[in-house]
Amino acid sequence: MADQPLSDRLDGVIDALVARGDASSSLRDTELAPLARVAADLRHYPNREFTARLRAQFERRTTMTTDVAPEATARIREGFTTVTPYMWVPDRGLADFLIRVFDAVETNVMDNPGHGIHRELRIGNSMVMLGETGDQKSALSRPVALHIFVDDADATFARALAAGGTSLGEPADRPYGERSGFIRDPYGNQWYIATPLGPESLASHLRSVTPYLLAHDVRGYIEFLVRAFGAVEEVVVDHGGGAIPYARARIGDAAVEFGSADPMPGAYFLYVADPDAAYEQALAAGATSLAAPADRPSGRIAFVEDPVGNHWYIARPA
Amino acid sequence: MDVTADDERLLIEAAQADPARFLDLYDRYVDRVYAYVSRRAGSRALAEDVTSDVFERALTHLPRFEWRGAPFTAWLFRIAANALADHWKREGRTSPDPPPDVPDEREYQDLERRVSLFQLVDRLPEVQRQVIQMRFVEERSIRDVAAALDRSEGAVKQLQLRAIENLRKGFGHHG
Repeated sequence: MADQPLSDRLDGVIDALVARGDASSSLRDTELAPLARVAADLRHYPNREFTARLRAQFERRTTMTTDVAPEATARIREGFTTVTPYMWVPDRGLADFLIRVFDAVETNVMDNPGHGIHRELRIGNSMVMLGETGDQKSALSRPVALHIFVDDADATFARALAAGGTSLGEPADRPYGERSGFIRDPYGNQWYIATPLGPESLASHLRSVTPYLLAHDVRGYIEFLVRAFGAVEEVVVDHGGGAIPYARARIGDAAVEFGSADPMPGAYFLYVADPDAAYEQALAAGATSLAAPADRPSGRIAFVEDPVGNHWYIARPA
Repeated sequence: MDVTADDERLLIEAAQADPARFLDLYDRYVDRVYAYVSRRAGSRALAEDVTSDVFERALTHLPRFEWRGAPFTAWLFRIAANALADHWKREGRTSPDPPPDVPDEREYQDLERRVSLFQLVDRLPEVQRQVIQMRFVEERSIRDVAAALDRSEGAVKQLQLRAIENLRKGFGHHG
């Protein structure tokens, strides 16, 4: 083999490295061996198209977060995060349910003549909003799914059933690090009531209440939220086969979770610094306008519907 | 290594204050993370997936990163080890022969040597770099590369030899 030119011998080694990861044939060839060692390392040379593409992705995302994404709302409204679930109900029965079951505290109530009552409640370190239409037959009812962390999932689950909730799944230790039971409240909202089982639980990434958004195409939906609201994808669990059992993203300073299932089109408040720009960005990403930005008593607000039917109230408080 | 502890700390604090500065961290560390992951991953596709995942997680968790004087790479390698473990868990298997999560001194030196090599490749004359890219990254045959570059196979083998000789000379201790 040493009779061959060095360039041919090296090429033979590279073929063997690429095919089998093996350069042992070069060991006794003192001229070839040092070059073969370099070649062995070159198998790990990163594809520069990959590193450039990944850089461009982060460039888009981090500059978007700086310029147009929803602002951290601590500066906008005390106690709120960027995303707040909004539950439309006919009466104050849901507020009473939340107070009884989750120790919610009512922090604000506003009577909007002609539009019903707007109520805000704090649960743990999260906020929820209720719109009470006063009409039992209201077509506005848009139940949502929420993941909630409590001190004792079993006790809270039992209280929820006693208060008129329906069991969707008894409390059990889940493989994702929490003990949780699932209920539907009397107004159709689903609550995943959880207590963390250890420091590795999802609770370390979440506040007390987190919207759980359901979609058939979770990846596609997250991509929409990235484009529309500057969401940042955090986790996508994918076992193959199409369905995504769990995913999480962050919109501004709020986490949202996802699972593959029939959507439960709900409504969410999205606090941003510039509702006009955020509204335009959402439409460009494929949202449908329900109302252009306008000054209302509670602030400047626009309404859009996203591709899975969720309504977003894009708002800057007055 | 060109990153002093002070430089590193300033870069991290800048990125914590302004997410757009995360790109500086990416530029500094992407080759190190890739070298660490590639050694364990077993395939280029997996190494790329995991590297991408590591920087996703780093971006998410950076606001909570606390400077305690340990190299930033140790934090990134820990994230990478977790990302690899998650991948293998999803695949329903354990790592084929897992190297330790945290590199020992020898592996650190080995990783730094590889990162220097990657950077030398980037500085090769363009046609030599193309040959390296096509042979090692795209795993194309000499015949393919010759056709793509419109040169004879013998000429491409010569370019390949010259590129690797240049790289070997680029760092004296390699052989």
